[in-house]
Amino acid sequence: MTAIDPRVQEALDGERDPTTLPAELREAYARLTAAATLLRDPPATSVADRVMAQIRREAPATRPPRRSNWLLRPVTFRLRPVWTLAVAAAVAAVVFLPFRESAIPGAEEGVAQFVGHFPGARSVEVVGSFNDWQRGALALRDEDHDGIWHGAVVLPAGQHEYMFVVDGERWVADPLAGRYVDDGFGAGQQNSLLIVRP
Amino acid sequence: MTLLLLLLLQSPHARLEGRVPAAALPPLDSLIGQAVAESLPTEPLVQKALEGGAKGIPVPRLVNGVRHGLVQLRDARAIVSRATPARASLDGDVAAVAAALARGLDPGLIERLLSADSEPPGPVLHAAADLVAHRFPADSAADLLRTAQQQGLHGTRLLDVAVAASHELQREGGRTPTEALARVRAMLPNIPVATPPHPRTVTRRAGRGS
Amino acid sequence: MVAQVLAGDGEAFGIIIRRYEPGLLRFATRMLGSPDAAADAVAESLVRAYRHLAQCRDPQHLKSWLYRITGNRCRSHIGRRHMSDVALDDAPPLADPVDTWAVLERGEQVALVERALAALQPEKREAFVLKHVEGLSYEEMADVTGARIPTLKMRVHRAREALLLALKELV
Repeated sequence: MTAIDPRVQEALDGERDPTTLPAELREAYARLTAAATLLRDPPATSVADRVMAQIRREAPATRPPRRSNWLLRPVTFRLRPVWTLAVAAAVAAVVFLPFRESAIPGAEEGVAQFVGHFPGARSVEVVGSFNDWQRGALALRDEDHDGIWHGAVVLPAGQHEYMFVVDGERWVADPLAGRYVDDGFGAGQQNSLLIVRP
Repeated sequence: MTLLLLLLLQSPHARLEGRVPAAALPPLDSLIGQAVAESLPTEPLVQKALEGGAKGIPVPRLVNGVRHGLVQLRDARAIVSRATPARASLDGDVAAVAAALARGLDPGLIERLLSADSEPPGPVLHAAADLVAHRFPADSAADLLRTAQQQGLHGTRLLDVAVAASHELQREGGRTPTEALARVRAMLPNIPVATPPHPRTVTRRAGRGS
Repeated sequence: MVAQVLAGDGEAFGIIIRRYEPGLLRFATRMLGSPDAAADAVAESLVRAYRHLAQCRDPQHLKSWLYRITGNRCRSHIGRRHMSDVALDDAPPLADPVDTWAVLERGEQVALVERALAALQPEKREAFVLKHVEGLSYEEMADVTGARIPTLKMRVHRAREALLLALKELV
């Protein structure tokens, strides 16, 4: 590629008065500015109507949900309960919580079951990506008061991160999750990872 | 599910207001704005910000956590662009690769797993991450999963392959990773579907003073 | 205007579209070489911008932000196809190569310049178009592309050299 004289570059960058360019350099300057001028022809089309039609269709109450842009994109699944990768002792009695009491999972949903052994705890809840990390949304139960806290919820198929919160203040990874990922906040804490199969 | 949809319909800024410290909102808006401008998925960043707010993470670390997520999304898109250019604009693929990077999977391995498969990459990447987490050599893990795909196993069935390998490793008498993978390879495509034990069984075991 | 849209006045976004659409369409057309592909890219970009307008905290940077979204859309489109497949459908046939630049009809000159531009690598093409067609400052270009100003200057300089050479070869 033939280099352009730096003085032409300066003139094109507005750092030099082009009238001060020597005659032999003016053609290159003129050719490039002419090319840019030709490329400035206004477009013949407009997309305004098309965009506004789309925006009107997406009125706030009916805007299409963001489908699976975070969750794994599901392929054809059959309805199955979730399992964890660790040793098989991962599931307690299934109790459908008020959150989705007696809910029947849809075609791209599955049942997620949570179990934790926290003897002496007053409360255990699950907080995670499936409930926007909201406190108080998914409480586990220990009806037998044996320290085994459990619960289940219907979730979209795909990947979810979560932790247990014990007694409202202690954040604990699920020891039975089998999959973990660093939470990325620099203190080495790990979130539990759940993959829900529909 | 309805709650989740309602949550997703709100703008990222609206979802973060009141959930993260006010001082964190401007830098978080900026980071999410960068993701928007770069056509990267924003939901992973919103989730990370909400998580940080819920955990009470100090503002600088919270913002860094989200920034790290943005970097991973960029890296993920670069990997998807190289391996499967036609899918580079698919948010799900980019998010799945970012999740695999977060699980510590090597970028080269991810690219290798993507390039030979036109399916959504989440399941095969998680299966690979599961195998690597159980100390199977990464290349051998990728070979096994590739063989499983060639023999008709796809989607979450690949996770069953990883579970089977894990179980082989834990069999009484012990097996080396190489032996475990060879056993699973010999079983293909008839890998059992991993199912949890009956809940009552677990309750009884947990009740024995564990 | 941004504040109006964020307050729920979706129709106000139409004003934003009318203000920025011509430049965005021109930019996308020069990047993609096809008015139809450019229309798709710009429409997608504007809808995305509407959905995420709250993330553009500083209205002063709205223009750069819109160009950045559009530039990324164009890069995605380019990544999915080869520029050599682009048809300059609306351009007239190229003139006889013995004609000099001066005697070419304007339409022929546009076609030649478009062909020369299409031959540039996407990064250089984008840099030239943003600088010389859209008239952005290097600071604005840095906002749009995320690249550092020295890098952008180098790209623009190389783009000029490549374009000049291509024009010499075509005429």
